[in-house]
Amino acid sequence: MTTAPLPTPKPPGRFARFWDSDLIYSFRSSPITVVASIMALLLVLAAVFAPLIAPYDPFDPSSLDLSDGFSRPMQPNEITGKVFWLGSDGQGRDIFSAILYGSRVSLIVGAASVLFSLVLGVGLGLVAGYVGGRTEALIMRVADIQLSFPAILVALLVFGVARGLIAPAAQEQMTLLVLVIAIGLSNWAQYARTVRGSTLVEKNKVYVDAARLIGLKAWPVMLKHVLPNVAGPVLVIATINLALAVIEEATLSFLGVGMPPTQPSLGTLIRFGQQYLFSGEWWILLFPSLVLILFALSINLFGDWLRDALNPKLR
Amino acid sequence: MSEKAFVQVRDLKRVFDVSRPWLNRVLENAPKQYLKAVDGVSFDIRKGETFALVGESGSGKSTVARMVVGLLHPSGGTVSIDGVSMSDQAASAERQRLRKRIQMIFQDPYASLNPRWRVGRIIAEPIRAFGIIQGDAAIETRVGELLSLVGLHPDDGKKFPHEFSGGQRQRIAIARALASNAEFIVCDEPTSALDVSVQAQILNLMRDLQEKFGLTYLFISHNLAVVRHMATRIGVMYLGRLVEVSDGKQLFAAPRHPYTRMLLDAVPDLAMIGKAREGVKGEIPNPINPPSGCTFHPRCPLVFDRCRIENPPVIDGVACHAVNAGRAAA
Amino acid sequence: MTQPVLSVQDLTVEFVTRRATLRALDKISFDIARGEVLGVVGESGAGKSVTGSAIIGLIDPPGRIAGGKVVLSGERVDNLSPEEMRRVRGKRIGMIFQDPLTSLNPLYRVGEQLIETIQTHTDLNAADARKRAIALLDEVGIPAPERRIDGYPHEFSGGMRQRVVIALALCAEPEFIIADEPTTALDVSVQAQIISLIKRLCKERGTSVMLVTHDMGVIAETADRVAVMYAGRVAEIGPVRDVIKEPLHPYTQGLMGAIPSITGDAERLVQIPGSMPRLSSIPSGCAFNPRCSKVFARCHVDRPELIDVGGHQVACHLYDQAKVPSGKTEIAA
Repeated sequence: MTTAPLPTPKPPGRFARFWDSDLIYSFRSSPITVVASIMALLLVLAAVFAPLIAPYDPFDPSSLDLSDGFSRPMQPNEITGKVFWLGSDGQGRDIFSAILYGSRVSLIVGAASVLFSLVLGVGLGLVAGYVGGRTEALIMRVADIQLSFPAILVALLVFGVARGLIAPAAQEQMTLLVLVIAIGLSNWAQYARTVRGSTLVEKNKVYVDAARLIGLKAWPVMLKHVLPNVAGPVLVIATINLALAVIEEATLSFLGVGMPPTQPSLGTLIRFGQQYLFSGEWWILLFPSLVLILFALSINLFGDWLRDALNPKLR
Repeated sequence: MSEKAFVQVRDLKRVFDVSRPWLNRVLENAPKQYLKAVDGVSFDIRKGETFALVGESGSGKSTVARMVVGLLHPSGGTVSIDGVSMSDQAASAERQRLRKRIQMIFQDPYASLNPRWRVGRIIAEPIRAFGIIQGDAAIETRVGELLSLVGLHPDDGKKFPHEFSGGQRQRIAIARALASNAEFIVCDEPTSALDVSVQAQILNLMRDLQEKFGLTYLFISHNLAVVRHMATRIGVMYLGRLVEVSDGKQLFAAPRHPYTRMLLDAVPDLAMIGKAREGVKGEIPNPINPPSGCTFHPRCPLVFDRCRIENPPVIDGVACHAVNAGRAAA
Repeated sequence: MTQPVLSVQDLTVEFVTRRATLRALDKISFDIARGEVLGVVGESGAGKSVTGSAIIGLIDPPGRIAGGKVVLSGERVDNLSPEEMRRVRGKRIGMIFQDPLTSLNPLYRVGEQLIETIQTHTDLNAADARKRAIALLDEVGIPAPERRIDGYPHEFSGGMRQRVVIALALCAEPEFIIADEPTTALDVSVQAQIISLIKRLCKERGTSVMLVTHDMGVIAETADRVAVMYAGRVAEIGPVRDVIKEPLHPYTQGLMGAIPSITGDAERLVQIPGSMPRLSSIPSGCAFNPRCSKVFARCHVDRPELIDVGGHQVACHLYDQAKVPSGKTEIAA
């Protein structure tokens, strides 16, 4: 009746076990993923600690000196002799500092909109999959409609509607929130679809029946039992969507409907930069674009790895 | 017999809608299709006994099990346990109290435990849900007791289900069923996913626990040998109907329904070394479109005209025109 | 003794993972004579299915055959190129798998699949191949084969589908068939039909069969000899009657007592404590030693080899008379 316990060697420490786990091993043995995550991490850290790292405060008008304008990267300014690592723009603003602050705004918008669409999409997907019937049909048809619009169009639409609703005086402060909602609303359907699919599989597993047998209502079953088991794919989508959301924000800002010049994001910086492209001041456009590309690329590479690592079929 | 019945199942029916989706039906001009998974099943289970339902795939035995515990609503008929009806809306408070006395053990031990939960939490869930014991420390002690009871170590509660073998997981599922002090446990093919040596461990454990706590089992299985080993009384199901109910040993010594006889003949057995047999002729018909009258008639050696028209009622434990008319040596 | 149809000698299969090299099969050996049905029985993880895959050369990486050989009618087949092996499979070795649904392509008519297989392995023209296919379907007991040959797999019931799979395995008149759990997915009543079909074909055609299953009852009725596997090794091998009636290995003894019977009268089933070890933690010496009730010092150290004991072979130190350290009283229990 008893199961003979085999003499096991002393269990290794928490860190050793973590380091030896299959997930971390697959991470360790993929150099591209390691480089990509270090890259992404550096960019995130730089954005978070922007005020500490940035040599100048690019948005303090009192610190700006027009004579610093259009300094070339790594070369002393012809008039003031100051050196800007990545050059400066027409108003003498340090591009490096502007990028740090800009990525901060981009990341905040990106992360917040991902969180928003995740909560919305996962919630709706869970309900659709678990409840079924008409509720499911309604939610999934709305998702289908949303998916048939380009995300950027949905975002523009939401943005336009919000513009009309919010008093002009408050618009500048509200832009960030509106952007988050606009981008979030354009991305939830993907989560809803994925979660509905996994929920349909999980709800037919008997551990859900076991929970129902002890009289648990639908919500506790969904949140305590089903949700943890459908979280894997959601994590992958969220990672890749973070890159997409940052790009989407940049696109909106580039189109002029995003962050105002007083709180520029990477997209706003790129919009400014492209005005100077043909007059020879290439650095104003190039460096913000490079950072955007690097960030999107490294996040995507990490997301790809995560998808493969969490997929039992490819293991 | 019905006075002492702990579980009473009367004329239980369940119909599933297996129609194509609405749009397909319209486009293909197809009618709605229904599957009678369970069709008028009645039986009693006495306290402390093991009542087994045995049958091949499509016989509806698992559907009966799910209706008895209340996971599925019957399309007709009643289930009452200790005098309380499971389907009566008015008695819902009473039914909630009843719920903790009924538990279920499932076939697939790999799907019946939430893979993201630690074993201790899984076993503690019914205790917390029914508020049986208060206080984390007391609950933890109780979980340890339950784990020891099913032959595991109290420390095993800290592990995740994937760290256990199939047999050990089934022990965990049994511990969970006992956590709410259940008296009546519905076991849906509890050992068919397990290897024989592990199956023996689990069957023995279930018998020991029955003796210790006076448990009542409804035991669902397709394996006649397992059923013979476990059951006090046995019901044989075929295509949603109960064709024979009999005392355990009696069924094997003197099977009466022609289907039961065929089934017993078909079981491969260690005693049958090298013996050839043709077993049952034909296969189970499609349950969506079952044969008329007695659903077994196309395969039955005793078939006569009446069988093709009239569904035989259960008389004295057998639903067969031939047996009831005295045409078969019963 | 005549040459066996299949001879497996010291076959070893390993799976290389980053942590360790797992030995799924550890030097297993057996022969199958012409027209003989060898049952290979074991619980999950015993290596019975890997044995079948290794013989037909279908071990996928990271697995590999690490030693030993497989000889088919005197010709070594384990070292053939994938292309040559493909010709051996189907032509000389037929295969029947557990789930008939996955062995048949749902998009093609049953006849098309049969005819294609027949034409791959013989020089028959289309009309003759079709005749042959109808004859085969008739032989495996499918009623009205002339009509049914144009049906799709989903139009067949489970038992009929398994009959088609058997017909498919017989297409090229192989000398040897591997049947991996051929009745497990079927209902009891249909199972008996398939068992007797396999037996009949074996007798009529003189085909040898390796029947892999976990069901001792199926083995008892079908097999001539049986090999009991445990943790990638053969624990006991011999005529089916001897192994079932008088099992020698403590594992086989436990296994037989653990099976509930529809005729026996055991109130309590014999139970073997514990469960099959994982491949990553196979005990040293005899792999069964932690679960064995008759274990003694040597079992922890030496791996027992198969030895002849009264007509059948067993890998257990209890029967190694010459070397039993302290009398052989332990055998009596």
